[in-house]
Parts: sequence; structure tokens; C-alpha cells
Amino acid sequence: MVLSMQKSFERFYLKKMNNIELRTENEPDVSSTDETSLLVIIIDTNPTQKLLRDKASQLTTVVDSVIAFANSHLMQKAQNKLAIMACHSKTSQFVYPGPRKPVDVRQVDGQYEIFLQVEKTVKQNLSLLLASENSTIATESLLAGAIAMALCYIARIQRTKSAGIKLNSRILIVSGSGDSASQYMNYMNVFFTAQKQNVVLDVCTLDQHLSLLQQGCDITNGLYLKVPQVSALLQFLLWVFLPEPPIREKLVLPPPVKVDYRAACFCHRELIDIGYVCSVCLSIFCKFSPICTTCHTVFKIPGPLAVKSKKKKMKL
Amino acid sequence: MSTSSEDVLLQVPSVRYKKGDGSLFLMDERLIWMVENRDTVAVSHPYADIKSQKISPEGKAKVQLQVVLHNSVSSTFHFTNKNGLQAQLADRDRVKDMLQTLLPKFKRKVDKELEEKNKLLSENPMLLQLYKDLVITEVVSSEEFWSQHAQQYTQKRKQQPQEIGVSGAFLADIKPQTDGCNGLKYNITPDIIECIFKTYPAVKKKYIENVPAKLSEAQFWTKFFQSHYFHRDRKYAENKDLFTECGKIDDQELKRDIQAGVKDPLVNLTEFEDKTLEEGYGGSIEKPPSNISTVSQAMIKRFNQHSIMVLKATKNKVNDNATDNAQSGSESSKITDEPVNKKQKILEKITYDDLEGEDVTKNGTVHLNLSKVERYLHGPMPDTAAEHINPNEASHIMRNVLQEVRQWQIRPHVPNHNLVPPSAATQALGDLSPGGALMRGFQEQSLAQLVPPHIEQEVRNLYLVLCELLGHFWKCFPPTAVTAEQKLVKMNEALQRFQTVKLKPFEDKLIRELTPLSQHLTKHLNQLLNAAYQKYNNWQKIKSR
Ligand SMILES: [Zn+2]
Ligand SMILES: [Zn+2]
Repeated sequence: MVLSMQKSFERFYLKKMNNIELRTENEPDVSSTDETSLLVIIIDTNPTQKLLRDKASQLTTVVDSVIAFANSHLMQKAQNKLAIMACHSKTSQFVYPGPRKPVDVRQVDGQYEIFLQVEKTVKQNLSLLLASENSTIATESLLAGAIAMALCYIARIQRTKSAGIKLNSRILIVSGSGDSASQYMNYMNVFFTAQKQNVVLDVCTLDQHLSLLQQGCDITNGLYLKVPQVSALLQFLLWVFLPEPPIREKLVLPPPVKVDYRAACFCHRELIDIGYVCSVCLSIFCKFSPICTTCHTVFKIPGPLAVKSKKKKMKL
Repeated sequence: MSTSSEDVLLQVPSVRYKKGDGSLFLMDERLIWMVENRDTVAVSHPYADIKSQKISPEGKAKVQLQVVLHNSVSSTFHFTNKNGLQAQLADRDRVKDMLQTLLPKFKRKVDKELEEKNKLLSENPMLLQLYKDLVITEVVSSEEFWSQHAQQYTQKRKQQPQEIGVSGAFLADIKPQTDGCNGLKYNITPDIIECIFKTYPAVKKKYIENVPAKLSEAQFWTKFFQSHYFHRDRKYAENKDLFTECGKIDDQELKRDIQAGVKDPLVNLTEFEDKTLEEGYGGSIEKPPSNISTVSQAMIKRFNQHSIMVLKATKNKVNDNATDNAQSGSESSKITDEPVNKKQKILEKITYDDLEGEDVTKNGTVHLNLSKVERYLHGPMPDTAAEHINPNEASHIMRNVLQEVRQWQIRPHVPNHNLVPPSAATQALGDLSPGGALMRGFQEQSLAQLVPPHIEQEVRNLYLVLCELLGHFWKCFPPTAVTAEQKLVKMNEALQRFQTVKLKPFEDKLIRELTPLSQHLTKHLNQLLNAAYQKYNNWQKIKSR
């Protein structure tokens, strides 16, 4: 098996596109006309994550686990494809395949070269990225942007793949950051784009509950898991996220939790079950107010009988 | 059996039934046949049971009449008047004519209701299930069921289905096929016949007069298509056939229509010249030859008439439904609103919505003036203050991380490096196994998988029935009128009956078949019932005070 993989690897050639090397098959392999799976892993490397503040060595655990997991994905099928991204506070970058020439590797201890190459490339590119970070101002991770980049990458692979190959794509996010309200619109855009492109979004959170990303999983039929202990991260990844979405139905996996889709009021930014929606501008309020604070429409004050009813009429 | 209170409407002697001679009687409400010289009623069919009657075709040796009942049993009577065939036919026709007038009266009463109920049940599986569970188990009575629980279904039926109009080209659409030997074959469907009858009432009249007494149905339609009446240029003056009279009736109709005038000012019925505006660009100087052949005149006349008839066919229906008082009102106002009508019609023809000026819409729009637009962009998130880390701390973390990363390069590659410690691995195994910390909620899911489909269906039906009953129960609150109180008592009884007749047996069955699930499945149903009982008891307490 290793031999055949090596052969097919030799047939790859590297093609430069933007700053990311993209492998395309030189001559279509006749035997690989079945389904392949493209996995894009997004690792949150923001140093302000609580995880890293507490113990910087956790980064090694996370990165090593993700690399082992990524290699397991490559091992499942010779045609499986992989991309790994690092999501930082100011930028998101592909670390595998990286922007530079691939690292030359020799076989060590009988390990399959590509596995070693994945590890070396990822670590090299990550350290370069982290070293370039010199600002001391802490900002949140740009996860929505990273997902958008991953979707673009997937779209490009889909376009350039040879005919007859079915490519199943998914994105796995491994993050210890908190939820971000400022990226809400960006999140929603990428979630629905992913849904439209049939890209499954999996989220593995290491620290906090991420309600927005959970919605993304729900929308794209992905899995959401909050890992109870980072030390066993690899086991959780292999158990929950390694099986491809069609196989997951047949496995006993953590059941999906009911996702909270409630809206927040514009006045206090609190989640509400029932509220008032302005019939002109669709602003949401938790209490009735005679003048909409967004569009300044004046409403009739409900009469004594209509106090209970939730309906309001527009004053013309 | 034959009670004296019944009136005999018609008595016909010499009628044979199943090789027995006797007399046929048409009574008030039923048809009976008695054996000769005996006072016993051998055959008795209430009119309400009779679905239809059939008669033997002309020319047959036996003169017979058959009545078909709703349960598709039929009785055949053979008329054997000794005075010969003509007398037999006369006897038969007397019976036939009377039955024809009698049957519709009874039809409307009884079977219409029953048939409608049957139809309702067969069309609505939900209702049928409710009927099975409520009426057959006697949880509620049949009358109650139809008056209360099936209300929305019966009301839906009352709304008349929309009348289907007549296509203007329906006659042209009957495409004849050649049969290969100089003949034409017309295929007509009941729909087409319906169209013909609607449009040409005179043909319908002829049909009723002649079929099946004088002609068979096929013969009738053959004659119809052969007739000059059907043909487009109707020159039937010298011809004498079945439909000559129809043509004359139609002509009279047309004359009346022309005299009455057409409301639409843009239509000129009496104009026979066939010319278009485009030919002379509106200024046609060339006088068309005045000798327009009578053939084309006849044709135009025929087309106009056909169109009028088609329009009338749909109009008649509308008028039937609309109350007659509207007619008298419109009659008087007709003269006054005619000029307005004409102007309006012409305006309609010369204005195009999409060519209208934009000033209307321009004045109509109100520009939204939004403030604090950024509020749309926040997610459904409470305003979490971003964690602020002071620069000192941040640079400290950065240093730690970079140091960690540097180790990646220094540390030699260790293939046997333990990525997951055994204790953490065991913990994760426990978390992910059924019953583990991450698998909560899994049990209920598997519960749903354990329920066999037939049990699931039963639970579904139980919910359907209970929700129906509970809906009526809760609607009674607050019971302000005596009728509401009575209904409340009734509904409470029905709920209790439901519990004993349907729910309890189901629970017993569950205990036998699906022990681990027995309580789970009906828990919520019982909760619903108990809530209703409690409400009822509280109400009783307050009432007795
Ligand atoms: Zn509020
Ligand atoms: Zn508003």
C-alpha cells in the first residue's frame, strides 16, 4: 500500500496559484475514479486563548494531535486530500500545503514520507507565522475569515479536479477562543455559503461554548463537540471527527444538542423568546416603544384592550 | 305490510316479476309489487333506496323496467299487457315518467347525506381515524361527531367547487378520425356532452325528448354530427332533420340578443365586413367589394352566435347563484352607467401599467432613515466585553508560545511520543460511551428507535383523538352559558370514556409487548388527561360553592 501511494505521489506536480501550492494530478489515475474526501482543518493559534495563557505547552498538544488526526485522514484512502490553516488575530494562513516549496524529507524509522512532510511543513510554517506576530494588542481570532478562505480553497479544488471524481469536502475548526459578536454577519454568510456548497462544518471547541459556531454546525449538518479535556484531544478527534459524514449516521456519536436560535433585542442585546419587531425596519425590541429607535417610525399606542396583543399598527 | 295510510299514486296490472304475475304499485314513498290475487307485498323498494331506473330499448320483444338500488341489487319488471305491445309500452312509460318525477325528491333527502358522509370519510383519512376511534368505540355519539368534530370538514364541502367554464373551441376540439371507408368517427366524452348541453340548451332538450325512448345515445350523437345544425354554415332551411328546430330556436335567441345589444361597446355584432385596421394603416380608402358572399356571412354569424352561447353557458351559472334581487337593481342603473362603462372600457384598452409615469411611485416611496445600523450586525449574543489583556501580559504569553514553538525545531523527532496519556484516554472512552458525559440525550433517541411502527401509529392515533377531544374540552372555558356547561360535562365524560376504552387497553398491551417502554409512551397522554380532569374538578368545586 505504501508503495502505491509513493508512486501516486510522484505523479503529482506542483502548481503555483496565488501563494498556495496546489496539487493537481498530471494524468488522471484510472483506478481512483471513486469518491475522495477533502478535509480542511482550521487551527486557532491566537495567543490570547485562555488555553495558551494558562499553559503555553498546550499548543504543542493541540498541534501534535491535529497533525496525527490529519495523517489518519490521509491514511484512510490514498486519494484523500488535506489542507491545514492557522487562524490568527490578524491573519489566516494556509500552513499545509504551505506557500513555500515543500520540505524535502527522507524516510525516518520507516514512517511514510507524506506523514512526516505534513508534520514538518505544518510546524515550520506555524513557527514562522507565530514569530511574525509582534503586536502586543490582543484581538479576537478571525475565524469567520478563515472559514471563508477554506471555502474558497474548496471551491477551487472542486473546479480543478478531474472529471469523474466525487469530492466530499468538510471543514474542521479546532479553537479555544470565545464567541465573537462582531463577526456575526460574516459567520452567517460563511455558514450559508457552506450549506449551499455542501461543505460540512465541524467544530471542536477546547474551552468555551461557541453558540454561533454551533449554529453553523447545525446549518451544515456538521458535528459540534466541546472537548472536556485537551489532553485527550486526539482521541476525541479520531472518535468523533474522523468518520466521514455519511458514515456518522451509522455510529453512536454524541447526540446533537438543541441549538438556541433565539434573537437578541436591539435595545439590551439580550436573548428573548417573544419580542416586538418593527414592521418597517425589522428591528427587534424586548419592550414596546411608540417610536422605533432605528427607523423612527411612530406607532399607535395600543388601546387598553389591545395591551395584551402583540400586534402593532403602523401610523400612516 | 301495506298500510292503509299510504296513497297509491299509480297502479299497473299485468306486470311480471321473476316469473310471477302481479301488479306494480307506486306509493307515496315506495314502489311495491304484489302477486296476483294475493294481499302480500312481494317486492318493496322505498324510493330513497333506488339509485336509478333503466328501461329496455325500443324494438326489444320484452318491455321491461329495471330499478337499481344503492346496494347495486336490481329488480326487473316485465310489462305483459294483453292488449299488445303499444299498451305495454304505455304502461311502462307511465311508470317510468312517474318514477322520474318521484325519485329525485327522495334522492336529495336521504342518500345525499349518507353518501356525502361516506365520501368525506373516505377522502379524509384523519377524519376516518377519528370516526373509528370516537364513534365506533362510542366515546362520542354519531350526531355529536358530525356536528362538532367533523365541522371543519363538512364546512369545507359546503363551499361550492368552482364551476368549470366552457372552452370556446370545444366543438373544434372534437377531432374526427377517418374510419377508412369514407366515414368519420367522432369520439366524445361525457365532458364534451356536458359542454354541448351547457352551450346549446336546445340540443339538451332534444336529447331528453328522444333518448332513450326513440333513439339510442349513439344514434342521437351520430345524427347530431351529421346534421347541418352542427355544421358551420348551417344552411338548414330546406333540410328537415332532428335539429332543424334547434337552429330556429337559436336564431330567435340570436335575434333577441342583437336587439338587447351587447354591453361591450367595442364589439359590433351586426358588422359582417372582415377587415383589419393594419391593412390601410387606419385610412383604408379601398372600398371592399360589397358582395360579401352569404357563405362567409353565415360563417361570421355562426361564430358570433357560438361565442355568445359559450359566454352565456358560464353566465347562466353565475346568475343562478347570485340572488335575483341584484337583477332588478342592475336593470334600472344600466342606462346611466353605460357611458361611464364605455369610457372605462376604452381607457382599459389604451392604458398600459408598465408605461405609466413613474411619478406615482416616486411620490409613494418613503426613504428609510435608519440610525444605529450596527445593531443589525450583532449576532444573537449578549454583549460580552472583549477580554482585555494588558500589553505586559500579552507579550509574556507571546514569549512563552514562541519558546514552545522553538522547541519543535530543537527537539528531535520522537516517533514513540505519547500524545494521549492512558488515564486521559480512559476518561475520554468513558465520556464517549453510551451513558457517558457527552452522550446524554442519547437514551431518548434510542427509545424512539425501539418503538415498532405499528405501536407508533397507535400512539399517533391516540394523540389525534385525544387532542380533538381536549380541543373541545378547553374551548368550553370559561363556561358562561348553560350550553357551554352542558358541553363541558359531556366532554369530560367523553374524555373518561376515551381513557377507559382506548388508553387503558393500549397501556395493557404495552405492558405485555414492550415492558421497558410501557410508562414512557403514554406518560404525556396521561399528563394531558390529568390536567383536563383537574381543571374540570376545580370548576365543579367553584360551581358547587
Ligand atoms: Zn431589550
Ligand atoms: Zn423600525
